[in-house]
Amino acid sequence: MNVARWVGALAAMIIMPLVLPSFVVVVLTEIAIVALFATAFNLLMGYGGMVSFGHAAYFALGAYAAALVVKRGELPMLLGLAAAPVLAAVGALLFGFFIVRLTHTYFAMLSLAFAQIVFTVVFKWTALTGGDNGILNVWPPLWLKSPRAYCYFTLAVAGSAIVAIHAIVNSPFGYALKAIRDNPRRARFIGVNVRRHQLIAFVLSGAFSGLAGGLFAFFNGSVFPDFAFLNKSFEPLVVALLGGVQSFFGPLAGAFGFKILETVIARQWPMYWPLFLGSVVIVVIILLPQGFVGLVERRRWRSRATGR
Amino acid sequence: MRLGLPRSLTGILVSILGGVILTAEGAAAQPKPIRIGEINSYSGVATVYTFPYKEGLALATKEINEAGGVLGRPLEFIHRDDKLKPDEAVKAARELVLQDKVDFLAGCISSGVGLAISAYAKDAKVLYFATHCQTSRLTWDDGHPYVAHTTNNVNQYVRVAARKASTLPIKKWANISPDYEYGHNMWEEFSTYLKKLKPDVQFVHQSWPKLGESDHSSYITALLQSGAEGLFTSLWGAQSIAFVKQARPFGLFDKMRYVAPSVGNPDELDPLGKEAPVGAIATPFAWYDPGLQKLHPKLEPWTKKWIEWAKARGLKDPQPKLGASWGYASAYIIAEAIKRAKSTDTDKVIAVLSEGFDMEFPWGKVIMRGCDQQALPPQWIGIVKFDAQGKPIATEVEETHGKEVVRSCEEVKELRAAAAAKQKK
Amino acid sequence: MDLVTSVFPWITNGPLIAVQVMSGLSVAMFLFLVSVGMSLIFGVTRIVNLAHGAFYMVGAYLMVTLVEVLPEHMLSFWIALLVAPLGVAALGGLVEIGLLRRIYHRDPLMQLILTFGLILVIGTLVLLVWGPDNKSVARPDALAGSVRIFGQPFPSYYLLVLALAPVVAIGLWLIFYRTRWGTLIRAATVDRDMLGALGVNVAALYTQVFVFGSWLAGVGGALSAPTVAVALGMDGDVLTTAFVVVVIGGLGSFAGSFISALLVGQLQSFGILIFPAISIVLLFAIMAVVLIVRPWGLLGHPEE
Repeated sequence: MNVARWVGALAAMIIMPLVLPSFVVVVLTEIAIVALFATAFNLLMGYGGMVSFGHAAYFALGAYAAALVVKRGELPMLLGLAAAPVLAAVGALLFGFFIVRLTHTYFAMLSLAFAQIVFTVVFKWTALTGGDNGILNVWPPLWLKSPRAYCYFTLAVAGSAIVAIHAIVNSPFGYALKAIRDNPRRARFIGVNVRRHQLIAFVLSGAFSGLAGGLFAFFNGSVFPDFAFLNKSFEPLVVALLGGVQSFFGPLAGAFGFKILETVIARQWPMYWPLFLGSVVIVVIILLPQGFVGLVERRRWRSRATGR
Repeated sequence: MRLGLPRSLTGILVSILGGVILTAEGAAAQPKPIRIGEINSYSGVATVYTFPYKEGLALATKEINEAGGVLGRPLEFIHRDDKLKPDEAVKAARELVLQDKVDFLAGCISSGVGLAISAYAKDAKVLYFATHCQTSRLTWDDGHPYVAHTTNNVNQYVRVAARKASTLPIKKWANISPDYEYGHNMWEEFSTYLKKLKPDVQFVHQSWPKLGESDHSSYITALLQSGAEGLFTSLWGAQSIAFVKQARPFGLFDKMRYVAPSVGNPDELDPLGKEAPVGAIATPFAWYDPGLQKLHPKLEPWTKKWIEWAKARGLKDPQPKLGASWGYASAYIIAEAIKRAKSTDTDKVIAVLSEGFDMEFPWGKVIMRGCDQQALPPQWIGIVKFDAQGKPIATEVEETHGKEVVRSCEEVKELRAAAAAKQKK
Repeated sequence: MDLVTSVFPWITNGPLIAVQVMSGLSVAMFLFLVSVGMSLIFGVTRIVNLAHGAFYMVGAYLMVTLVEVLPEHMLSFWIALLVAPLGVAALGGLVEIGLLRRIYHRDPLMQLILTFGLILVIGTLVLLVWGPDNKSVARPDALAGSVRIFGQPFPSYYLLVLALAPVVAIGLWLIFYRTRWGTLIRAATVDRDMLGALGVNVAALYTQVFVFGSWLAGVGGALSAPTVAVALGMDGDVLTTAFVVVVIGGLGSFAGSFISALLVGQLQSFGILIFPAISIVLLFAIMAVVLIVRPWGLLGHPEE
């Protein structure tokens, strides 16, 4: 592990918000949030081999938890932010219990179904969530209000979270997870409790996604039901794919690239942005060489040929 | 495990580069024009409304600038797409304020977006002119000095429709409206005002299909059974078209009188064609109506000017849609507020708005009311019928000014107090 | 009994229930057409084609253009109905050969994500070609009105759809159970690898199934165009419902799609009347339950 690289990254994080203009600082904040969301997602996809299509549910649960604690509970922002990963983890535990029993396409579909349920409940439960009006005026306290201040705050929180995820994937738990991803049967033979590890990974992934959601709630100043909708679920997926799911910092790089592309292109040609995004997704998938998932496929098929 | 850090370093460099580029863009912008950051939905399903609206803004801007601009400076709208998502809108608003350093904010078509931008504007102390979105919460329940509404709100045209409905010999009413804020807002305004005007009405049935529902047959069946004599709807756009097409052969419109504010407009009547709901009461912008043209002599020449403009700008359908008139009016109202303030200073313009002023348009007088910074334009009722060529249009157009039905300033104050109390809880 | 009739006043109204059931059936028919295509494509290629709703939408838009362009004639509508799905089939072929073929060796989830990218691309292309305005296809004069069922008006067009339903179902059944091609398809849904080992050109089969599935989606779109508004965003709703139908019925099962479409169609119809508040959640909840209890659906095959 290259200490120099870490120090360099830290230095960049401290200097950038100081020298860059206000608006770019705002974009940087958003990049940090998306990077956290995508890294949390990749914990499940890249390291766990499980692709979820409903991660927006946990993002939204985190965002709404933060908003409700601050607006209804009238408690300080930090408590709201602390509540975000907790509620998201509860949701991930509840749903994940059923989802991890499935594999592959069915895993993805059930995760999608649960996310749609979360969306619909949030949309319809107007008394609690405000329905499609959302919850407005969810601002950070004065000392964190300015773009620069909130950027530093987000970089600190998201940065620490990403460091934590890094520690997780390099821990014994992380290695067991990778073993499960590569060959579940072999992992079971050597005594790894596959289901439990997968569920824990799911809950961790959901919790960190919820934290990202909480950060986003205060960044945006409001929360809306479409935080739980399908488009939001595809965001970490596209970002992670772009950056590369096979490396830890792939999603981070993807977050940078995606947000910059979006800021520049969606501004100029809003009508064409979906066309561009869709084309990029298609191109990345076709040309993505040696995707991690390709690696997994080969290993899985190899084991099937011998294991059957 | 490869860390891929070089990639992320590249990412960091790219972002700095991007930041420099974006800053350069901003610095290159000239300080002379008065810049309005306009946020709306320019991709996807809302474009049927926002494209004509944008051209309405453009036409008015061109005229204003050709006449010398505002305070001697050209007016300029900078457009951003909100993708129909409130968080994207807030992001765009931030960018416009921090990066492009716009003087004012404007826009919205979705009520959720409008409310989100309004919340940001209040926080950032930037003046926001809500344009195309219709919820009355903007200037009433959630109103504040930093938001003004340049077009009518739900309350006005629904009440005019309710007035017409109260003149009919019908007691039993049903409702079918989309299940979201706008739909509920519309029904509440209609039903409470109708009840006030005609206390013996009964509301016998409610249907709340989800927004964007494609199959309404079970709602239609239930309505047929309800015994209602009149049906109110706030369904709009593609959903309204689908509902009418599905309901007609079930004989629904033979059984009950249809009150559908949006159905009188060409973006719904034209696709419906011979399936249009004859006899329906709507609140259209019927620029073609001879009676209306006689009442407002400037309307016909404006229509001609608009059609030429729309064709030149490449709009597939050059008819002067409601959105076009709204865009046109909004630009002029914003310009007028700045002119009267003799400055682009936010507080001075708010002071002008809170005093209120009138403006004449080709379709009548629009009043900007001071107590809530809400525009009150003329409202129209029309009955859907086929013209001589068999095309469905709105006829028997009656005009009522918004000021005659809108909630009073006192009622607005009460609404705001109630909303504030609920916030405190 | 009084409580029931006061809450559901329509329940004693026999003719209305009959009408309700029949319109539920015709809606189920549209659903079946779109779903069975999606189900088949998955069964053979293991790809969940998220762009299926977009194909349905293209079918409807093509119908609009054809009806506009063809001269006013009694047969125009029927010609358009025949030609529009062919356009969608062609689009499906293009997509399969140009894009999907290159990634068959990859994880099916990657293919699924690619089809999501397709949704965005096709959606924007539709906007560029046809513009943002709402469009509509008028019902053919012969079917524009209504007939009386037990004294209740019932749209004639739905009768057409109901009449076509057995024709389509039997036609598909004949194809799948009485032709060699159909047998190959059914075999592929059970065991692709074995099929390849037996010397069948599986790649060509994939293309054929994808084209056929797209054609079915196009038929669904063209047929339903006169009953809805043809507008941007119509693909989203169809996709969601078709997805639920396919999962409940069993990915890859023709009969499963049929039964599931009937179930979901009627559930939606009566669900709205009985549980209005939660009817939306109901569908997804049922889908979730099916995935938990029996992931391969009612009549699907357990995988691997």
